[in-house]
Amino acid sequence: MKLRTSPVFVEGPMPLIAPAVMFLSLFFLVPLGYVVWMSLSQPVIGLQNFGRLLNSSLFASVLYSTFKTALLVTLLSLLFAYPLAYAAANGSKRFATFLLTVVALSFWTSYLVRTYAWMVILGNQGPVTALLSWLGWDPAPKILFTTFSATLAMTHALIPFMTMSLFAVMKRIDPLYVRAAENLGAHPLRAFVSVYLPLSAPGIVNGCTLVFITCLGFYVMPVLLGSPRDQMIAGIIGDQIEQTLDFGLGSAISIVLLALTLAVYAVYNRFFGLDRLWAGGDR
Amino acid sequence: MEMFKNASATPLSRRAVLGAGLFGAAMLASPSIRRASAEENALYVNTWGGDWEASVKKFLFEPFTADTGIEIRTVSPISFAKLAAQKTTGVYEFDVTTLGVADVARANGAGLLETLEGHVDTSKLWEGAIYENGLATHGFATQMAYNAAKFPEGLKNWSDFFNVEKFPGNRSLQRHAARVLAIALLADGVPADQLFPYDLDRAFASLDRIKDHVRVWWTAGPQARQILTDGEVDMAGLWDSDAFGAKEASKEPIEIVWDQAVVDKACWIVAKDSPRAENGFKLISHIGQNAEGLAKFCIADQNGPMNPKSFDFIPAEVAARMPTHPEHLARAVMLDGAKLLPQLDELSTRFESWVGI
Repeated sequence: MKLRTSPVFVEGPMPLIAPAVMFLSLFFLVPLGYVVWMSLSQPVIGLQNFGRLLNSSLFASVLYSTFKTALLVTLLSLLFAYPLAYAAANGSKRFATFLLTVVALSFWTSYLVRTYAWMVILGNQGPVTALLSWLGWDPAPKILFTTFSATLAMTHALIPFMTMSLFAVMKRIDPLYVRAAENLGAHPLRAFVSVYLPLSAPGIVNGCTLVFITCLGFYVMPVLLGSPRDQMIAGIIGDQIEQTLDFGLGSAISIVLLALTLAVYAVYNRFFGLDRLWAGGDR
Repeated sequence: MEMFKNASATPLSRRAVLGAGLFGAAMLASPSIRRASAEENALYVNTWGGDWEASVKKFLFEPFTADTGIEIRTVSPISFAKLAAQKTTGVYEFDVTTLGVADVARANGAGLLETLEGHVDTSKLWEGAIYENGLATHGFATQMAYNAAKFPEGLKNWSDFFNVEKFPGNRSLQRHAARVLAIALLADGVPADQLFPYDLDRAFASLDRIKDHVRVWWTAGPQARQILTDGEVDMAGLWDSDAFGAKEASKEPIEIVWDQAVVDKACWIVAKDSPRAENGFKLISHIGQNAEGLAKFCIADQNGPMNPKSFDFIPAEVAARMPTHPEHLARAVMLDGAKLLPQLDELSTRFESWVGI
């Protein structure tokens, strides 16, 4: 009986993951393979598309600004989300529910809707400009279509990811540790820096990785809210497909973006382990 | 225990799971597969959606369906990339679409279009109606509009638009290489009849003068209208319908300039190898002969008819603000996609790099 049942558990997961595997193969791996093929074969077979990227100053500058923006947005999200997650994890249950609901509501609103909301808020006729003029700023600065407005909107969009990653870890930090440190005479700030911060570090790393990688692929917000020079790499891919019909070059850029994203994942995996990224730091 | 084993791990049930997965995949893929087959008497047309689609349906498609019994279904928005992808994949989401002169020349050069000659009776059309295997039915202008409160002395032409010392302020132009480069050359003093092919070095040198003053390279007509109306920019090169819309909607006095308006034509085309090409030719012939429908469509969509007979159905005061009104056309510059064809790839690649850096 024992011998006959054991294969159930060996084979068991296979039928369970089969639909997902089928779906991903058909709608992800096959198209991805086609993208790789296009990058190597359009218009002729060879590596010329990648060669063009190496020689393109536009590609280099956009790639640089994409990483710079992603890094900036990651740091800003961390700055805003850390106190938020801290308050939710250490406050009363009702307060935590309230905070997390607010975060989730913004998370559930579509990117496009949030982008248009920012256009209204930051625009020439919007409340921010009105407030600045009322405070005597004349003429009020133009905020929309600047690097500032694009960064602000992207940070806002990604704060929920960061908050959730931090909250999951902070919720599991035993408050007794900090109290013990304080009992032993540590200043509250010292207790936070030496005890709480290191304990919450897995959440910081998880959140930063998630936010950074998600931000690398942003498209709509920088195009609609940023200045013409705030293009991100996804926008350049879109241009190749929609404007110049250069599917080969567009595919090559996609492959480079994918490779760089995987490189970030690989670094994360090497030091922290990929299973932790989704498990909220519990090991 | 035996039951559990049988239910989940026998080869038979694994096949069933695989089968279910395939069935699911087929269900998901079925809309496009169904569309690809040459089915009942229908025609799929790519449209811009929204108001555009509503007027095109009412004035051009419904009369066609009434006369021929061919039902029209619409797919939006208009995507040139999709037109190109359709021929590669063989999956046709639409059979007929409209393209501007640069795109129609490029598509025709790339073999993406069915030949209209021999399928559409040109003797029943006006002169110059067929352009690069497209039926050019209506025109729209990219013209200058500015806030007269900011510039009481007034801007007269593109040279003024490019003169940032005399007319400081934020500008906006369309992110569209073929149209913007024409404007840049006109601003630099190139006569309209010597515009094509473009002198690219000269055009980009001219564009460099306003680069830091262009706050937005707009990509959709209403976007341009909105930023001019809201005062995000002080002047813009935008489509005539949006210039008119901004003038109507804005609190500021918006002035519209007709001199040197760059006129592009919308051309109806049939996608190469489309399974319903015959119905597509019928639609294009019908639109070409429906002068009254075209007139009403142009009034509703605020563009100008290329069919001269259509002006018989348009009130004089409405015709007076149309970009193809003879008086405006005489001062305008016609974009010539066919003459630009050898340059098109270079100019869009160079323009996109120039904008991004």
